[in-house]
Amino acid sequence: MAVKIIESCVNCFACEPVCPSKAIYEAKPHFKVNPNKCTECEGDYPVFQCASICPIEGAILNALGEAINPPGSLTGIPPERMAAAMAELQSH
Amino acid sequence: MQLPVLNEAPTKSGCSASSCGTTENQMDVLPDSIREKVQNHPCYSEDAHHYFARMHVAVAPACNIQCHYCNRKYDCANESRPGVVSELLTPDQAVKKTMAVAATIPQMTVLGIAGPGDPLANPERTFETFRRLSEEAPDIKLCVSTNGLALPDAVEELSKHNIDHVTITINCVDPEIGAKIYPWIFWNNKRIKGKKAAKILIDQQQKGLEMLIAKGILVKVNSVMIPGINDQHLAEVSRVVKSKGAFLHNVMPLIAEAEHGTFFGVMGQRGPTHDELQDLQDACSGDMNMMRHCRQCRADAVGLLGEDRGDEFTIDKIEEMDIDYQAAMEKRKVIHQAIQAEMDSKRLEKSQKAEQFKAEPKLDTRPVLMAVATAGQGLINVHFGHAKEFLIYEASPDGVRFISHRKADQYCGGDSTCGDGESVLQLTIRALAGCEAVLCSKVGYEPWEMLENAGIMPNGEHAMEPIEEAVMAVYKEMAAAGKLAVLPESVRASA
Repeated sequence: MAVKIIESCVNCFACEPVCPSKAIYEAKPHFKVNPNKCTECEGDYPVFQCASICPIEGAILNALGEAINPPGSLTGIPPERMAAAMAELQSH
Repeated sequence: MQLPVLNEAPTKSGCSASSCGTTENQMDVLPDSIREKVQNHPCYSEDAHHYFARMHVAVAPACNIQCHYCNRKYDCANESRPGVVSELLTPDQAVKKTMAVAATIPQMTVLGIAGPGDPLANPERTFETFRRLSEEAPDIKLCVSTNGLALPDAVEELSKHNIDHVTITINCVDPEIGAKIYPWIFWNNKRIKGKKAAKILIDQQQKGLEMLIAKGILVKVNSVMIPGINDQHLAEVSRVVKSKGAFLHNVMPLIAEAEHGTFFGVMGQRGPTHDELQDLQDACSGDMNMMRHCRQCRADAVGLLGEDRGDEFTIDKIEEMDIDYQAAMEKRKVIHQAIQAEMDSKRLEKSQKAEQFKAEPKLDTRPVLMAVATAGQGLINVHFGHAKEFLIYEASPDGVRFISHRKADQYCGGDSTCGDGESVLQLTIRALAGCEAVLCSKVGYEPWEMLENAGIMPNGEHAMEPIEEAVMAVYKEMAAAGKLAVLPESVRASA
């Protein structure tokens, strides 16, 4: 069981020092999780540390491949509002 | 000893007008110990920012909170605003870059760490950079800015280095308001949201502020003015932080555009108008008029305020530079002394002119805003079409005071963008709304006519003259021409 960092990671370093298992490492093109080391914080914390400080919605997945921080959960921007704003910008 | 020539611009002295004046010397209200530290700091001293340069090194990527005006995905070389950087540096690269810049731009006296995340949420990277610079480049002043969440734990370490200024961004002292600005914080191994999060952040900020003051470290407070959210509240913030000993409160306008992808940008939150910002700055600054020239720099800005020479100091380029810092320090010392002498003589001249002005019969006219195009040295020395920004001054019977800067697009790029010239010119003229004159070294025929039609008098007669003297001369001409009869209501209220 391990979490996974995907390509939307912005390499902000925030997760690396908070990992209790030292499973997160700097890599190209983005930070990665060593699945052999990741404990999902069990025994250390009740919540995923990496996903509790990560500022990017969707960048960290749980063992089931689901976003721990789904769209809108961190920024407070409703996903449809974000989509509309981005569509509006691309039409220019 | 022969002093090096710093600038090609002639150092014109003397007042072209019969007299001129400036309102209070902005630093006079400060205690000597603080004035000593800040009077040559480009970010705190309006006249020093024409001479001395600053740089930020982007060593601090992580953040422990989210603000609604920030988007952590952002990285764009064409944007200039806080939180934006092009290249993240290791502490070692940051030290090399700082020394390369210091040797190449000897006017650079201040190194700040401001992000792109929160410097104190990256304590190892931030403090290693400070530790090495205190040892290897002791002639550089060090500054740091923070959201304050991790500040109480960092005060002890901060006090060990050559750091005498800390900036805390405090947007509120009320958790109700904070909950509308900060969606979450990371605290004690948990992500915390809402009012509870805002309360923890506010408490940490205030505690950190008190601890810094107790250690004798200067504290500046930054606030982002967000209309409808904290605009009415910032006067209270100002009162609280000053009563605790912050020496300066800098109110900055919210920057929010949908394309930045920030909560405020996407949700259509507007920034303040020029007038709203000026009114609040007047209310919060009290006697101090020190931060009106703040340019809200990028977290990796290099150079004089308003310019960015970061491209000359990319990681690739600094790796190839061979810097003899001892030699550079010798050279810097000589140049700093020369700048100091020039600033001292200008400050003296200014205060003498102000005395002279006070002795004259006082005008009974309304205040006027004027825009000025300048590239530094306190002179009117930029062509209207080449100005990237305009400095706004207010002339009144009390003298001349600096109000703010406003960005302008250069409509005369001399390249393929010329096709859009007219609309950009109109945008520039709109940016000057509220001003009644614009002083620059030259104005072309086309903009001249458009400026006149917009009620802004173009003026190219004071090229290479000191700004305050020229503004006062134009003000007196306007008064003599009967354009400034006192109005019963505040002029700005009707503008």
